[in-house]
This record gives sequence, structure tokens and C-alpha cells, in this order.
Amino acid sequence: MSSSNQIPNLRTLVGRGRRGGLRGRARGGPGASSESSAAVRDSAVRATDQDAAGSRVSCVELGYLDDAYAKLFATQPSARRLPLLNRGSYVRTTAIDLLIDRFLATPTRGLKQIISLGAGTDTRYWRLRDKHPDTPLIYHELDFPANAASKLLSVQRHSELQDALGASDLGLAGPQQSYHSSTYNLHALDLRLLAAADTASLPDLPNLSPSANTLILSEMCLCYLQPQMVKQIMHTLTTHYLSPDTPASLVLYEPIRPNDAFGRTMISNLATRNIHLPTLLTYPELTDQRARLNEYGFVDGRGAVDTAFVWREWVSGEEKERVGQLEMLDEMEELELLLRHYCVCWGWRDGDEHRDEERDGEGGLFRRAWEGVQGNNAG
Amino acid sequence: MSIGGSDLDRAITQLRACRPIPENQVRELCYKARELLIEEGNVVGVDAPVTICGDIHGQFHDLMELFRVGGDVPDTNYLFMGDFVDRGFYSLESFLLLLCLKVRYPDRITLIRGNHESRQITTVYGFYDECLRKYGSANVWRYCCEVFDYLALGALVTGAATTLDPTDGPIADNVNCELPDSEMDIEIETLNANGEIMFRYARNGDSQSSAASQANSNPASSSPIGPTPSRSGAAGTGATSSANGSTRNDTGAILCVHGGLSPLIDSIDKIRLLDRKQEVPHEGAMCDLLWSDPDEIDGWGLSPRGAGFLFGADIVKCFNYKNDLSLIARAHQLVMEGFKEMFDSTIVTVWSAPNYCYRCGNVAAILELGEDGSNAGYQRRSNGDRGGGGGGWILGSNAGPNGTNDENRRLSSVLGESMQKPRDGPGRRYRVFEAAPQDSRGMPAKKPVADYFL
Repeated sequence: MSSSNQIPNLRTLVGRGRRGGLRGRARGGPGASSESSAAVRDSAVRATDQDAAGSRVSCVELGYLDDAYAKLFATQPSARRLPLLNRGSYVRTTAIDLLIDRFLATPTRGLKQIISLGAGTDTRYWRLRDKHPDTPLIYHELDFPANAASKLLSVQRHSELQDALGASDLGLAGPQQSYHSSTYNLHALDLRLLAAADTASLPDLPNLSPSANTLILSEMCLCYLQPQMVKQIMHTLTTHYLSPDTPASLVLYEPIRPNDAFGRTMISNLATRNIHLPTLLTYPELTDQRARLNEYGFVDGRGAVDTAFVWREWVSGEEKERVGQLEMLDEMEELELLLRHYCVCWGWRDGDEHRDEERDGEGGLFRRAWEGVQGNNAG
Repeated sequence: MSIGGSDLDRAITQLRACRPIPENQVRELCYKARELLIEEGNVVGVDAPVTICGDIHGQFHDLMELFRVGGDVPDTNYLFMGDFVDRGFYSLESFLLLLCLKVRYPDRITLIRGNHESRQITTVYGFYDECLRKYGSANVWRYCCEVFDYLALGALVTGAATTLDPTDGPIADNVNCELPDSEMDIEIETLNANGEIMFRYARNGDSQSSAASQANSNPASSSPIGPTPSRSGAAGTGATSSANGSTRNDTGAILCVHGGLSPLIDSIDKIRLLDRKQEVPHEGAMCDLLWSDPDEIDGWGLSPRGAGFLFGADIVKCFNYKNDLSLIARAHQLVMEGFKEMFDSTIVTVWSAPNYCYRCGNVAAILELGEDGSNAGYQRRSNGDRGGGGGGWILGSNAGPNGTNDENRRLSSVLGESMQKPRDGPGRRYRVFEAAPQDSRGMPAKKPVADYFL
């Protein structure tokens, strides 16, 4: 939303009933919002995708990010975001790009695969094709059928998106929900299906290689689910769809620090939009996030940073200067607060075979890719 | 129509209800305000008692809460240090109400300019869009911007008492330390929105225990009001080091400015010489006064905001000494606890927008300065330098006879090796308050919703 959209028109409010609001304390979390049906919540979560798409377009138009594809996916007219939100979106994308670029740039004998959970309108596949044209890569996106269908509609509408998939007509006559090829796959499904304990009832994910070096990406996705369910989904992905000895990793981007004044206000504000973040309360600090990755089986290495740290330590001085000149940014204290409340975490398992390689001195793919990435040491 | 007398009172009533006034009334109001502001110097003279407020940012309902906590106009004298507009949903109503009060009670309320009182910034941060949305044209925004150009750049408060009359109020629930005896000279007092005492600090050194335990009190209490900012141990603060001598010392003046100091400004007189009646420039002294921030550095540094500078304790102490100031009060930076004293209490940040942007979860504060009873002869209510180019005594040391200036030079040359005995700071009463209850905001509970990364 632009700032102008946020300003309520006073005249339209006259005579409307006043409702008591949520104030101060967080009331979010499991069981706290029985008034909102699961369907309402699902649609609120699905709607977050256009939030992200709009933020991306705003960033691109102002020169923060170079992404020719962003505007092709935004269904709403682009609106300029506040400078601190642009800066935040820039930091978020930059941090994840850095981890993924290092993964793709690190040589290995095997195939590479990325599984993007709740990908929505993310343009990453197209950007990566341009940036790493020679890296053999299988890309998978998983999202709600409605989001997937809308994404494919955008692809059909724009030849530059379709051409990059190497399919002149996508074989799409009418509206479709899923798309499969040897390089790009969009699986229309509710992620929660992957939490099924009974492996026979798990959905088929075509073209998903059980043995390719796999990076699983959750950018504001798993945080909307209950921690126990997330654990089950990760178990399914890393032991059923992937062989248990396949090198695999998880990159997370989600909010942290729910217990200070800003965090409590965030929980309460998002609850008014029917958005609840169960993992936020379960993994409040960076140390909890690191421990969580270990719990998921990413036992060979882990890191976690808040995005304030990313801006300070990962972004070069030159780049900081470039970004700093794009917009006059007055809200320094607020930006710092905001950035401190989101984290990027990564963890990996190198797989048995690669542990042998490590003994020979080469080291596993993920270790080599991410060894030098600087994490916050403080919890 | 002309806005004056009963029309003005009607407009105030309407704005207090958070309802915008018609465009023609805004035009008239802005014209009147400009006539008044043009007479003010760049640095407005203000007499204590006065209540100093920081950023408001269009949070109208919180401004009403501020008046509830601090007392209504004209019963309480107010000095607002800018940033009336942008970010909040009701910049228009907030600014116009303050402007109406200024026109109605010119000697009771002082408005100085913040960096958001600018054409360029208001087009990015919301005030322009708000005017367009509420009036269907940019006329009102244009009238307001013309007023912005006439707002003073700073204010100089004189006649403030060095000690507070202790509040005869109840002690707040979450205070678990001994308060100094009310017989002692109280330098600092912090009250919550209900007038309950959260913290009290006596000027004499033996009250350090209260300050120290204050820092640890209430770390995770159920109250959303966090602990009052620690004074990082009472030892070494300006307050304790000057505990000798007369306890009723004359305090120096208090300079109020939105952002801070400028490397181009070493005396208050230099501020007076600026040509302020223009859009805030991108650089230069006027820009710095509205954009700079104090920071834990030596000397001057580059500001991450892209305008203004960072300045360290040495800069503040030297400036205060040279200009016979006991304190600089400024706004501009969000502080979670509502106020923050720095550099041995030579500068304080006052922030008056609680739960800033409906997202930050902070509390707000206002700073009350009492009237020095021993100076009762000087009852000066006229605002500004009207008719005199600055009445001598409010100019501080630089207006003094030559001898004073020589003395200054001599003392300045040794400043930095060992600090001269600074002026006693004024007695400071901070009132801390939270955001107005959501259901008083007159908007659906789903609004306002701040943006997050989703």
C-alpha cells in the first residue's frame, strides 16, 4: 500500500460502528483467534503475496533492485513504498541472493536443485537463469493453487517469461495450476499436504530429483504454519522427496524478536489482518533459529543473522553508498528496529558421500559455498 | 470570510474533534499564522514555565493524549519542536489545530520547524497525499508549506528553575527503589500518564542509589511502559559534578531545535543571521539544525540520513559553554522510552509520538521546565524578538559586554582539557505516556495497519 492508500477517508468513516481494537499486548498465536475461520486466515496469507510483489516493483522502479521481471507479476498498480520499506525489501532480497548465488557458483559434480516454498510471484527463477545460464539447475516452486494459477497466467501473458521457460506456448490452452519441465516446475498444492504422516498419501512432485544438491527456500512462508507441522514438512522433504543422504540445505527469511515492544506491536498489528506467525513465538531469537535448523537435520553447519546485520556487514561500502543515494531516508531509528526484527538463517547437511570428500580435503558443496558467510554471534 | 475571534474558536472546536476545516478557512488561517510568524526571530525567546514536545507526525489522537497528560492550552505553555506532519493519518488535523492554537494564543504556544515541514519531504512521507485525499486538490498542502517557510528554526528558553517542586503524587506501582527525600533539590522527575512518580533524582550526589536502581527497575513488568532511561550511573553526570555551591544557581538558557547543531554555527547569534524564509535546503546551516543527530563520536561525523551531521559530546559541551546554555533540547530521533539524555545531561532528545507509525511500540514523553521563582520580576510573555532584534538578556553570553566575550575566549581555550564547571541544568520533569486507546481513534479497528515484510 502506498501512504496515500493508507490514509482513511474521514468522510467514509462517519457513522460506521466503532469496534474495540487490539491494543498493546499480543493476542495472536494458536487458539487465540477463534473468531477468524481457517479460510479467512488462508486467504489473508495468500494475499500477502501481492504485498511482496508490490514491494518488489517499488524497489525496482526506484533503482534498489535490478529485476526486469518484477512488474510482469504484479497484478495491482505499482505504488511507491516508504523509503524504509524499500530499504528493507532491498536488504531481504540481497541477503537471500547472496546465499543462493554462492550455492550456484560453487562447483560440484552433481545437479543443483532449488525448492522454493510459497514462492508466489517471486521472480527468482528468471533472474537466476539470466545470471547463471550455464549452471544446470532444476527449480521448483510450491504454492496455493490460486497463487500458482495466477502466476502461470502472468507467464502466459508475457513472452519474456514464457521464452525463458523454453516453451513457446507452455502447452497451456486454458487456465492451469501446475507447470512441469526439466528446468522449471510450479506445483500447485497446499504445503500442509506435505505434513501427511502416511507417505502413500503424499502428493507427487514431478521432476523433483531425490539426489540433486538441493536448497530449500522459505521466504516468509513456513512462518505462517504451526511449528510441529513445519517440522513434519521438513522431514518429508528431506527424507521422502530427497534421499536421506542427499546434500540439502534450508534458507529461511522470517520475523524474529516477538517479545520486545516492536515485536509485540507487530504481532498485534498483523493479527488485525488475520495474519498469525506461530514460528515467531517458538523461535524468538537467532539462537533458537539455529537450534531449529539442527533439529530439522541440517547438522553440518548453520548460520543466522538479523537483517540489520546484513545491511551493516554483508552490503559493501560502495553499494551502501549507491543505495543511500536513491532516496532520502529520514527514518533511521525505525529502519534499524524493523531490520532487527527479520532474520535470514541457513543450515545444511552435506550427505555421507560428501563427508568423505571433505576428508579428502574438498569439503561438501554447502560448506564450500557458505563457509565464509558471516553470522551474528550474539543470540 | 475572516478567521478570528469566534470563527477561530469554532475552527478549534472542529479540529479538536479531528474534523478538517474548509479550504477557505485554511487559507485564512495560514495567512494569519504567517503574519504572526514573520515577526518571530529565527530563534524565538520563550520564558519558563514551558512544556517542550518532540515529534507529533500526524498522530492526532496521541496529540490529544499529550494535552490530557500535559495540560490543555492555554493553561499550559507549549513549545513544539517540529515534525507535526507526515507518517500518521491525521497530519492535516494535527498541524491545523496547532496552528489555530498559535493564532489564538500566540504567547502560549511556540512552533518551530522540523525537517518534515518541507515540500520535498511531505511529498514522500504522506502529508501531500493526505491533503490531496481530504480536499481533492493540493491547495491546502500549498498553504501549509508557505507557513512552514516562516516557522522559527529554534527557541531559547530562559528563566527556568534549577530545581523542581516535587510532585505531591502517588508513587507508580512498578517503582522498587527509594526516592530521594522531597526535602532535597529535585533535578529530575519522571511521571507516568497518571501523574504517578516513576523516578526522582536529587541534585546532590547522595541520591545516586535511586538513579542506579532505577536503571534496573521494571525490566519485564506487565506495564508497557519500559524502564526510564538509565543515566548510566549518576556519577559523572553534569548534575552530580555541580553539586557544590549554591543549590539555587541561575540555570543557563535552554536551546530548543529540531535536529541539532551545525559545523557552520558556533553561536546562537549565527542562527539569528540565517535567512530562514525558504524551503529547507539540502545542505548548509539551516538544513543541519533540522537534520543533525548527537552521537557517541568525537567532533563531527557524516549522517546516515544523507542530510545534516552527527556531532559528539565535545561539540555539545563547547557550544553550551560558549552560549551560556545549560541544556539543548531536541527531537528528531525515535527513542523507545520517550526521552533520552546524553553527554552528562547536556542534550536531551524528546520524542512525543507514542507507538510511532502505529508500529514501533515506543512510549512518548514531554519535558516540563518550571519557572525560577527567584526571577519572578521578569514576567515576559511576548513571543519572539518582536520590536527589538532580541532583548539583550535572552541572548546569553554573546550579548554581554566585551569583558564577557574575552572571558569566553579565555575559557574556551582550555575547554576540552578539563571541562569548566557547567551551568546547572534546569529542573526537568518528564511526563511519559502511551498511545491513545485504539477505540478512541474513531477509525475501524482494522485501521491503522502498518506495513511489514510479508
